[in-house]
Amino acid sequence: MFSYYLKLATISIRRNPILTALMILAIALGIGACMTTITVNYVMSSDPIPQKSDQLHYVQVDNWDPNNPANSDGSPPDQITYTEAINFMRDKKAFRQSAIASSSGVVNPPGAETKPFMSQIRIVYSDFFPMFEIPFLYGSGWPDSVDENKELVVVLSRQTNDQVFGGEDSVDRTLEILGREFRVVGVLDDYFPVPRFYDVTVGALNKPEDLYMPFSLKEELELSPNGNVNCWKSPEGEGFKAFLQSECINYQMWVELPTESDKREYEDYLYNYVTEQKALGRFPRPMNNRLPNVMEWMEDQQVVEDDAQILLWLSFMFLAVCLLNTIGLLLAKFVSRSAEIGLRRAVGASKQDLFIQHLVETGVIGIGGGVLGLLIALLGLEGIKMLYGDIPESLVQLDLTMMVVALVLALTASMLAGLYPTWRACSIAPASQLKSQ
Amino acid sequence: MLDMKDIRKVFRTELIETHALRDFTLSVNEGDFVAVTGPSGSGKTTFLNIAGLLEAFESGTYLLDGQDVSSLNDKARSQLRNEKIGFIFQSFNLIPDLNLFDNVDVPLRYRGFNTGERKRRIEQSLDTVGLASRMKHLPSQLSGGQQQRVAIARALAGEPRFLLADEPTGNLDTKMAASVMEFLQEINDGGTTIVMVTHDQELAKQAKRNIFVLDGSASEIEAAANNTATA
Repeated sequence: MFSYYLKLATISIRRNPILTALMILAIALGIGACMTTITVNYVMSSDPIPQKSDQLHYVQVDNWDPNNPANSDGSPPDQITYTEAINFMRDKKAFRQSAIASSSGVVNPPGAETKPFMSQIRIVYSDFFPMFEIPFLYGSGWPDSVDENKELVVVLSRQTNDQVFGGEDSVDRTLEILGREFRVVGVLDDYFPVPRFYDVTVGALNKPEDLYMPFSLKEELELSPNGNVNCWKSPEGEGFKAFLQSECINYQMWVELPTESDKREYEDYLYNYVTEQKALGRFPRPMNNRLPNVMEWMEDQQVVEDDAQILLWLSFMFLAVCLLNTIGLLLAKFVSRSAEIGLRRAVGASKQDLFIQHLVETGVIGIGGGVLGLLIALLGLEGIKMLYGDIPESLVQLDLTMMVVALVLALTASMLAGLYPTWRACSIAPASQLKSQ
Repeated sequence: MLDMKDIRKVFRTELIETHALRDFTLSVNEGDFVAVTGPSGSGKTTFLNIAGLLEAFESGTYLLDGQDVSSLNDKARSQLRNEKIGFIFQSFNLIPDLNLFDNVDVPLRYRGFNTGERKRRIEQSLDTVGLASRMKHLPSQLSGGQQQRVAIARALAGEPRFLLADEPTGNLDTKMAASVMEFLQEINDGGTTIVMVTHDQELAKQAKRNIFVLDGSASEIEAAANNTATA
């Protein structure tokens, strides 16, 4: 019977093409608006490194003001001090670990063709690359010895390598950064995690940096701090060294802990570390260490911004309005068919038969609305891309999951919209229609 | 075949109650051809709708083929309508978007026949009414008489034992009306029981039995054919 109902749906759609087009358009507009916002929310809340996100942990310890917590919810500060970054990296208690921070500096490309330009720099330890499984186009990261010896090496992003070296294999070539000669050891392949989970403190949708260099150069090159710098008390003294030794936070610390046992051991380590620091007169607040994994950290940092969620709800309300219109149109369509419904009842169709027949028709309209809604969603995402400019491509793409979600949403929404008109159609008294035709 | 006893049917609005049938009693036997006449508003169509299980009634008993229909749910009533009853309406009630083949197919779809069986029955019934060559035509491409023949083919395709006709010639000219009556006679000769509501006394005379309905009650009157029964 299903194929028969499909055939009847097709005939019915052909009978009232304009009415059907209006219904499909109403559903499509609602679905398009919803899918645009759902996609943005979905991508922003998706796991950026699913294969090991539960093994990567963000380190939080509470060095803050004894009288005022760092955050109103009592959670420890979002970043750590330079002192902790150096100490944690010295102790190396995790399987892999890297303190990281953001900086910037002028790059002076070789030759006269490309002018010097300001670039964003991420300072990291050698474990950063394998820990986050960052893809390389040429070369690789650097060994531990580079961190220890404070060698001037750099890893370029693919875009930077294209800009400076025309996309060639630039490993072992030199590049002047901040007035010093750096040796290129690797070039990244395309890498644009969404959200940019390793540092969401200045925006989860920011693109990764142009250059990566050893964290250990921070002090020697006096690399300027980028991103959020927060202090609960002023540095004791003047100058860059005093700033590094202060209680100001500007650094992130990630550790890779493959097992639960590793995690417990690291928690013990943090406990002992903070106890030690308390004995030295630091960490005046109660013990408040945390070790969230990637997704816990994304949730803590509210990576899916409130605005995006409000937009999501608004788009669902818009879909509801569109569906109300669809209900009205379906009602008009089905009631205009009263005589046919009466005839079908007379020749043996039960209410259930008619209910299914009309729901199938509603479903066909819903699928049509879903397909058109996908196209509208693509336009909406293109609009977002044009509006915001430099955002990751994955944020404005509908993947297979989202396409399926769109069709299921359209089908479900249209079925719900069709329930009342279908019920009304099935409740038509056949006798009155048969005589009056 | 059909046994109605003391059937009551009341139509209610906020202001008035209309007694469409009052203690309506009628028996129709297998193979009968019954013409039901009476003035407008007397209850003829209400009787036909109740007989065809299209309307419920307040009180009384109705046995169709020995089965009490008052206790049946919608699905069972629909199945009974589909298997045992064929309908012919004054205004044909063909579905305008479906060709003749698909119109005749409508009751068969709800019967659950396979494709081959449906095709055989459709072709056979359209052939019976002389329209097999036009099965891909739409109803709008046919004359009124031809449309009513399609409606008869649709009613016959399921091979019902009981045919209910509501003013089957009401929208036809005299010549076409005679042709349709000939069909009905042939169908009745084949053993199908027919109950036909009509205003036309000449047509009524061609039935085996005549029932006159007045103020919601039925009474048997003299028919042209020499059949008598007590209503």
